[in-house]
Amino acid sequence: MATVTFDKATRIYPGGEKPAVDGLDIEVGDGEFLVLVGPSGCGKSTSLRMLAGLEDVNAGAIRIGERDVTHLPPKDRDIAMVFQNYALYPHMTVADNMGFALKIAGVNKAEIRKRVEEAAKILDLTEYLARKPKALSGGQRQRVAMGRAIVREPQVFLMDEPLSNLDAKLRVQTRTQIASLQRRLGVTTVYVTHDQVEAMTMGDRVAVLKDGLLQQVDSPRNMYDKPANLFVAGFIGSPAMNLIEVPIVDGGVKFGNALVNVERDAVQAAADKGDRTVTVGVRPEHFDIVNGESEGKSLSKDAPAGLAVTVNVVEELGADGYVYGSAKVGDEDKDVVIRVGGRAIPEKGSVLHVVPRAGETHVFATSSGERLSD
Amino acid sequence: MRHGKYRFIIGFLAIPLALYGVLVISPFVQDFQISLTDWTGLTPDKHYIGFENYRKIIHNHLFWQSLWHNVLLLLIVPVVTLALGLFFAFMLNVGGRRKGSASVAGVWGSGGYKIIFFFPQVLSVAVIAILWQQIYNPDPDEGLLNVLLKGVGIGGQTWLGDPKLALACIMAVMVWANVGFYVVLFSAGMASIPTEIYEASLLDGANRSTTFFRVTLPLLADTVATGWVYMGIIAMDAFAYVQLMSVNDGGPNEKTDVVPLLLFKTAFRDNSQYGLAAAMGVAMLIVTLVFAALTLRLARRDRLEF
Repeated sequence: MATVTFDKATRIYPGGEKPAVDGLDIEVGDGEFLVLVGPSGCGKSTSLRMLAGLEDVNAGAIRIGERDVTHLPPKDRDIAMVFQNYALYPHMTVADNMGFALKIAGVNKAEIRKRVEEAAKILDLTEYLARKPKALSGGQRQRVAMGRAIVREPQVFLMDEPLSNLDAKLRVQTRTQIASLQRRLGVTTVYVTHDQVEAMTMGDRVAVLKDGLLQQVDSPRNMYDKPANLFVAGFIGSPAMNLIEVPIVDGGVKFGNALVNVERDAVQAAADKGDRTVTVGVRPEHFDIVNGESEGKSLSKDAPAGLAVTVNVVEELGADGYVYGSAKVGDEDKDVVIRVGGRAIPEKGSVLHVVPRAGETHVFATSSGERLSD
Repeated sequence: MRHGKYRFIIGFLAIPLALYGVLVISPFVQDFQISLTDWTGLTPDKHYIGFENYRKIIHNHLFWQSLWHNVLLLLIVPVVTLALGLFFAFMLNVGGRRKGSASVAGVWGSGGYKIIFFFPQVLSVAVIAILWQQIYNPDPDEGLLNVLLKGVGIGGQTWLGDPKLALACIMAVMVWANVGFYVVLFSAGMASIPTEIYEASLLDGANRSTTFFRVTLPLLADTVATGWVYMGIIAMDAFAYVQLMSVNDGGPNEKTDVVPLLLFKTAFRDNSQYGLAAAMGVAMLIVTLVFAALTLRLARRDRLEF
């Protein structure tokens, strides 16, 4: 078992100016499950491949435990990797695939068999040990790839989007299996995905990357509750957080026809930077519908309180529903997503008045994207 | 539509089958017929002599020697050519040291090497034969090899004139002429193996030779088997190389004679024994069929999917 440290690790592809991974600084604890997440091209896979030794490190260092592995070849790093397309050896049986690394390492046959059978048992592969990969289903191949990693008993597991090739239902199922397997084995794991749901559900901590730059590393809960900037706010959560640019007024920010209290410090900080607006983020489930009732703090008496949202589309999911509507903020129409109860689905074309729930708003500086509220 | 099906199939099959029958099957049949006669090929008279020609072949020392040379070619040339082709292709595609972005790459300058390796393939056999005749020229001041040997202080050889070396010299030329094609063929085969598989084997701790023997070679087995058949056919023939390069057509001392050349000489030179030559053709056909059957038998295996 070991920790993994990225110490200002940087990767610049030959011929490129801009680093694919720029000064990545992450410390992964012993036995921790860290998920690297971000849109495609953000450098998450490159980071993982740097850790695997499949990609050079141009600056900075990578350490596994106390060992500096920056320039070690992959085989000397004591890691195992699960590839997106599994990369099973097509000409070998499942058992040979899983035991290949041990065979190269010169482990004796009885020991290899014992370890392969143990892993097969954990992964429910015992009856397939004699088969070739092509005679297996996608989910089974995925488990063989996992098995190949487990058998080696490495210090670190690396997983590069291992669930992307599975169908939706199997993906959800396998997600839980991998997470529980990792907890059971207690092996430090770095997991790459573009799917923020996977990131949120599997990781002990989540690291969000964008354009090769680390945006935030935090537990899934904190990532959701306190996104560090506009990008993380928009990326984490499904449907995405509503991000609305609103003008700063005395005592808070003007949100449609309502005044929303935000922390004085936050607004002050924005004003100090010369911004006249801030971007307020509200998650779909944090809107309260205030139709007709005047409990909100109306700015003008003759119009109902809150932000008027015209319903365009309603997604009914059973337990609840998502309203996709548009609202006039300032002079432009903004798309807004609101979660409503499953028994109170509004009609298409109707108008809802909503106010953000107190204490559940996020305030970001419009210019820098930094989080202002606490 | 159902009753029209056979008409449709026959319509398409008739022409190719007819062509195949006339151009491929009928010469074989004809060859067998001629092999049972004493026809000279020059006169209209032809007498049925039963299996007399085959009896002659069986007792002909030269035929067995030529066949042995063919077998030697069949055993050595494909093995050496394919082994070299695999080795070069591996070095050009995955055997290089890791550099820059790619974790799996060929040796430096592999693009240029590929062209150089393929170069002999664009030359005709006649050009290759003349070229190598000059290289093998025994003159210590003109033959390229002998000049080089003299340069390092070793005495020259007579090469193609040496009964012990002649066949090996011709084999070397056949390998040289064909290896480039297999470098390209195997390169294409290796390019179709996903990079992740090489990366997985790197992570599993495989070095170059383990990767080659445990991963690349098994994954290329189909391509190698195909190459084996092609090379086998070239080795069974070898007519052009031997005819053009050897001294006295298969010399010295018939040490480079091969069955196709012997057949040619029998039919068109040595008293025009056309019937005897036809019998040799039938014998050659049988040997070729055995080779093809064995190869296909050994090459039969599961198709691999990536």
